[in-house]
Amino acid sequence: MFFFWKKRINFIVLLSLVLFQLILISVQVPMGEEDNYFKRIVFSIFSPLQHGVVSFFRGIGGFWENYVGLVHVHKENESLKEEVFFLRQRMNLLQSVLKIYKTEKDISDLFFELQKSVLPARVIGMDASNVWKSLVINKGSLDGVKKNMVVLDKHGHLVGRIVDPISFKETRVQMITDTESGVSVVPLGKGVPGVLIGEGNGKCRLEFILSTDAVIAEGDRLVTAGFDGIYFPGIEVGRVTSVVEKEGLFKTVQAEPTFKIQDIDLLAIITVDTKEFF
Amino acid sequence: MVLSVIVAFLLYSVLGKISLSLLHLFNFFSLVVIYFAIEKGEIYGACLGAFCGLIQDSFSISVFGVAGIAKTIMGFLAGYFSGKINVTPLKRSFFFILILNCVELLIWAGLYSFIFSVRVNTGGGLLFFQPLLTASLGATVFYQLRKKKNLILD
Repeated sequence: MFFFWKKRINFIVLLSLVLFQLILISVQVPMGEEDNYFKRIVFSIFSPLQHGVVSFFRGIGGFWENYVGLVHVHKENESLKEEVFFLRQRMNLLQSVLKIYKTEKDISDLFFELQKSVLPARVIGMDASNVWKSLVINKGSLDGVKKNMVVLDKHGHLVGRIVDPISFKETRVQMITDTESGVSVVPLGKGVPGVLIGEGNGKCRLEFILSTDAVIAEGDRLVTAGFDGIYFPGIEVGRVTSVVEKEGLFKTVQAEPTFKIQDIDLLAIITVDTKEFF
Repeated sequence: MVLSVIVAFLLYSVLGKISLSLLHLFNFFSLVVIYFAIEKGEIYGACLGAFCGLIQDSFSISVFGVAGIAKTIMGFLAGYFSGKINVTPLKRSFFFILILNCVELLIWAGLYSFIFSVRVNTGGGLLFFQPLLTASLGATVFYQLRKKKNLILD
């Protein structure tokens, strides 16, 4: 009997490991949006490491650029870039707010609040399974980051929202190109709301556009509608790439996001509760 | 072993920042698992595979265990077959890693598609080159490591 088990110990170990991970998968799958402590613990362990590695190499790169290259020009450029970044984010927010608040007093009251609402963050990691799914940023709960905060790129285009797990100095962002992401959008200047769903390959599809809605066309710019309770209205999201008429209730509308994945090194987290303004 | 896992972790983090395409082209964690599975056997390979898979899953918002299962099986197979056949010559090592990486990719893609009901993002087809490039890199690195090891022993 002992010999029998000894001979098969390797396979028993393999089966145990596979079984353990199958149980792990089955525990996580039905949980959906709920907090997963196991995931949170592992994220808390590895994300600071990743943060450290990226910061270290960025530091070396930064040293080289700053001290070996053109010191003053580079510094000035960096500070101007930062200023442009904040100004652009504020302008986008204010443009959205201006559409709703009509009186001068309303706007001036809100201006001060909005000044503080942009938190810059750097990308420190991409999703291992699919780069179009999520990314990790270097801001966390200590910086005031909370779940469902809106994340924009440096041009003010929508990238996604904050999702769990959120650790002290690192957070995960679900991108709008993720297959589990849904954003309520509307073509700019047209009143046909739909839901933009990611396809996991850098493209999106616009759902629930009725076949009878003739107004939507290729090239239309899509902006958030604000109906989902997460993204405030007026953020530029994407562009319609094709509209296909088919039998049935809805059209097949394909879209591409406005943000460029190569250009998302610096992001803006909108920390203000946008429900107060919109 | 710990150092190798750290190196794989470093490479993964840094290369991802240099270019996203590199994440599709190389699988450093697999190389660590295969190397130690060959050196120490199938149980070690399976356990290390489970651990490295867990690290790889931590880079993702997807479900924990998907990469874990694929790497566990790959680690076990690497240890098991390297005990039966000699995989140290350069060419044989290349094909050995190539086959193992294909098996791992198939298991991972199958599980991923099954759980999420979506097609795997191949990064514009770059993912299909992963076994080939990982095997090329792995065979070269393993060959050099063995050469150095033999020199030290001599």
